[in-house]
Amino acid sequence: MAKRMTSRLAPYLFVAPAILMVLVFLYLPILVSLALSFSDWNFIRPDARFVGLENYRAVLGDTNFHAALRNTGIYTLILAPLQVVIPLLLARLLVRLGKSRLANFYKSALFLPTIIAFSIAGATWLWLFNPLTGLFNIVLEAAGFAPQRWLEDPKLAIWSVSATVFWKTFGLNMLLFLAAFTAIPPELTEAARIDGARPARILWRIEVPLISPTLFFVIVTTVLGVMDDLLGAVDVMTGGGPIDATTNLLFYLWEKGLRFFQFGHAGATTMIIAALIGFITWAQFKLLERKVHYG
Amino acid sequence: MARQRRFSGLAIHIVLALATGLTLFPMLWMLTTAFTPNEQVLSRAIRFWPEEPTLDNFRTAFARHPVGLWLWNALVVSVLVTAGKLAISVPAAFAFARMEFRGRDTLFWIIVATLTFPSIIGIVPTFIAVVKLGWYDTLTGVIVPSIPFIGFYVFYLRQSFRALPADMFEAARLDKAGMFKQMWRIALPNVKPALAAVTVLSFLGAWNIYFWSLLILESPERKTITIGIKVFSDVEASNQQWGPLMAVALLGILPVVALFFAAQRTMLEAFAPGAGGKG
Repeated sequence: MAKRMTSRLAPYLFVAPAILMVLVFLYLPILVSLALSFSDWNFIRPDARFVGLENYRAVLGDTNFHAALRNTGIYTLILAPLQVVIPLLLARLLVRLGKSRLANFYKSALFLPTIIAFSIAGATWLWLFNPLTGLFNIVLEAAGFAPQRWLEDPKLAIWSVSATVFWKTFGLNMLLFLAAFTAIPPELTEAARIDGARPARILWRIEVPLISPTLFFVIVTTVLGVMDDLLGAVDVMTGGGPIDATTNLLFYLWEKGLRFFQFGHAGATTMIIAALIGFITWAQFKLLERKVHYG
Repeated sequence: MARQRRFSGLAIHIVLALATGLTLFPMLWMLTTAFTPNEQVLSRAIRFWPEEPTLDNFRTAFARHPVGLWLWNALVVSVLVTAGKLAISVPAAFAFARMEFRGRDTLFWIIVATLTFPSIIGIVPTFIAVVKLGWYDTLTGVIVPSIPFIGFYVFYLRQSFRALPADMFEAARLDKAGMFKQMWRIALPNVKPALAAVTVLSFLGAWNIYFWSLLILESPERKTITIGIKVFSDVEASNQQWGPLMAVALLGILPVVALFFAAQRTMLEAFAPGAGGKG
């Protein structure tokens, strides 16, 4: 009898630690964030007051928030297409080489920056971008061009940071595409090839539809990921400057809310960001998922 | 026709070699700078390898900042986060794959759905909880809240456990071995590649944690390398200490690069079609 009780309970004992951790650390905080966003709670004045939409009004009316929101949009428009298209093309070329030793070398080398930390990537490119002694300006000047203020010029800085982030992130999508292309049976493209169709046409008309589930997954996760990708590199390279030119939403959350223990403000910022992310992901499902061909 | 084929083969190699060169170059530059005396680093000469390689930059770096502690702290965080993730996701994945119980699918999706959560969603309350528990400025404060991000691991390990044939467990069942024993003795030894992939992914992820360490770790000697390098760069870049900064960067990527090469095959194949996820 006792034995039967334990065997019926056993599965729950196996899953309990995981479920508990996930509920306590990932689900519960969403509700608490929501509650906090309507209060003025901080460590200095512990008794929280209900302040209604005050925090939301403060965040939405803050010009730093506008800059962060606009920049996150610009970063996404710069980075997401690059992070999808270039890895896709690289993966397609790698597949052509098959399982050669050289192909393996290319694959590992191209993936290498993906495993290092954003802040370390940021420090490395900070050195390359240094206006006086950095390599980029030395090469530019040697070639007879004017040196650039890569990270100090507000117009250029967002591109310089994006280049760093791209370098550190494209490898993962490349591997995902590589797996998808490898899984395409060769006979599916053979006929078109014999008919003399150009490779670009085969890629666009036959192969891309065949990998559309992966493509969809990559697009959704890449757009979601841009925001997370920005903090480490931005923090080391520019600190969000010059004059908010490279700031973004995550950076804003830290600078304006958490750093000064303004939990109501931070809670409202979190909920606004989460709502935005939720909406964008939903929109992508609406717009793109119809075009995906599963199996 | 054959000629055209060969040409396009060559073109592919040219494009890939160029892309590979561009990708590796910043790392090569980091390596060269790290071993070049700092006076020469600032001389604006382009050298792809130092004429007289030196360890001076490493000495300077260690003398000015607790770089050794930063590396040690990152190691402690990575090992314990990985151990914690494995300890909770392996039994859960095993139960989801090989046991029948009420609510199984719901519980499974409760865990996997967290994959779609924006990473920031719980940051504010978790931060408050960490402070209340007295874990502010401690490694525990970084480690514990990093463990629950297991959606991908549970999903991926469940696939591996599911792929094991049922008769593998038949003998154990006749022996009346408990489920724990079946998991430990039979299932685990047969999913070693999946375990290795999960371990490596988790270690890499934990080593590179940034935002959370930035929030929690305050004292210089408690920081991990990823946020330590930010301190180092803020202070030393304005002193033109680029040699020492690149020495710190090199030390910061060395463990993950070594791990990557050791587990390369597992890593690159961990991303099977359809099971792709962002760790």
